[in-house]
Amino acid sequence: MTISHISLTNVNLHYSSVAYKERSIKSLIGNLLKPKVKREALTDIHALKNISLTIKRGERVGLLGHNGAGKSTFLKTIAELYPISSGKLKVEGEVRSLFDLSMGFEPDATGRENILYRGLLLGLTPAFMRKKEEEIIDFAGLGKFIEYPIKTYSAGMQVRLAFAISTAVGGNILLLDEVIGAGDANFMAKAKQRISHLIEQSEILVLASHDFGSLTALCERGLVFHHGDLIFDGGINEAVQHYKKANGLAI
Amino acid sequence: MNKYIQGVWSARYFWTHLALADLRSRWRRSFFGILWTIIQPLGMTLLLSFVFSRLFKADITEYAPYILSGLIVWEFSIASVTGGALSFVQADAYIKQYKHPLVIYTLRTVLSAIVVLILASIPLFAWAMVVLPQNFGWSWLDGLTIFPVLFLITWPLATILAYLGARFRDIPHVLGLAMQAVYFISPVYFEVKMFRAGGLDVLIDYNPIYHVLQLIRAPLLSGEWPTAHNYLFSITTAVVLVFLAWLVGRKAESKVIFFL
Repeated sequence: MTISHISLTNVNLHYSSVAYKERSIKSLIGNLLKPKVKREALTDIHALKNISLTIKRGERVGLLGHNGAGKSTFLKTIAELYPISSGKLKVEGEVRSLFDLSMGFEPDATGRENILYRGLLLGLTPAFMRKKEEEIIDFAGLGKFIEYPIKTYSAGMQVRLAFAISTAVGGNILLLDEVIGAGDANFMAKAKQRISHLIEQSEILVLASHDFGSLTALCERGLVFHHGDLIFDGGINEAVQHYKKANGLAI
Repeated sequence: MNKYIQGVWSARYFWTHLALADLRSRWRRSFFGILWTIIQPLGMTLLLSFVFSRLFKADITEYAPYILSGLIVWEFSIASVTGGALSFVQADAYIKQYKHPLVIYTLRTVLSAIVVLILASIPLFAWAMVVLPQNFGWSWLDGLTIFPVLFLITWPLATILAYLGARFRDIPHVLGLAMQAVYFISPVYFEVKMFRAGGLDVLIDYNPIYHVLQLIRAPLLSGEWPTAHNYLFSITTAVVLVFLAWLVGRKAESKVIFFL
């Protein structure tokens, strides 16, 4: 059993600009032939700038920052979905992330089938998913709809099912990106309870949110991002103050 | 490298599920269901062999299995090549959520295509058994090696194309055209001797499609063993493609997420 640990040393991350510049062979060849026209060039987006920090076992970290500051990028970097362009990243422990909950359902398959499929996506075994199935169905509370294809579900129902599946298994490192806020009031109460249970189980929590209430309630340490820079790393309450100051909000 | 292969292995439940789901959705809500995989190439073969045997004055009983073998392997190639080019694009919801080795998404495409191919080859064996019983023998077992050999060629090929397809969205269109061109210069329906008679030996001797097709055609259609040369050519193609896929993947694998 390894001890959960995250460390970043001088990590930079660029979104490569080719991804949105030349999408076709035509434009690639066209650009080679054409004389250069002066237009505002699209450059690589420097999304994380020289970030160095460590997160040790037992820490509960909140991420603050304006839209596009780098919170989600930071989470996805830790989840090792995004490639860093320089620096060193070390993540030890099993990562469980809740990002885009309703992605990856198969619309023609029933809710029950999708429970299995999504579990497999998360790297779990069919035997394990069969054990968890009833509990997930129970938690999602969809009644007889669980036997219907996903395409008959309302958006809210999809989120409920996705949430129930994704939170059925915890990990040592839990990454949350604004997931709290799904479903009706009744479900919300259940969801909050479940999240806090997951958080208790996890060894490291990293939560990105705009809700100061849940941030201060759940986290002790706060990281403030501003245009890709890490401008503050310290106690969560000071972090909230810092965030407000940096973004010109009344304190 | 080992870690990568381990990743593919530990995701095995996921990619087998994806491949099976593709097959299920293919046959969902159709009356003949799985039988379509067999009926469709058979019907096409009957039609083609009727016309071609008149045109080329060939014996229909022997020409028909030739066409059928070409047809099913060709359909498999199209499915894995054009499907392969879209593998990453289609799996974007998965790729953005969980870090699996990307090759599992092309594996899914190739696997479901190969299951279809295996089913479609049943009538080929049956046909050869009925009209060419004199060819039956141990060499037919050797004919079965076409499946793993095709798999070893198309998996890396689909992977290379999937990288290109994620980068350039024109690739599937280009491939549609390219495959049509390849089809005309390969002994898929047209007999090998027609190429040779036209002095186009190059299109046979240096064409991996010919050598792979020989693996099943030699035993079933002429009762011979495929030559070592056929195997050597096919395996070399596979090795080259694996190397290329590794080369492309090493550079591009981590960046694919930006292009989806």
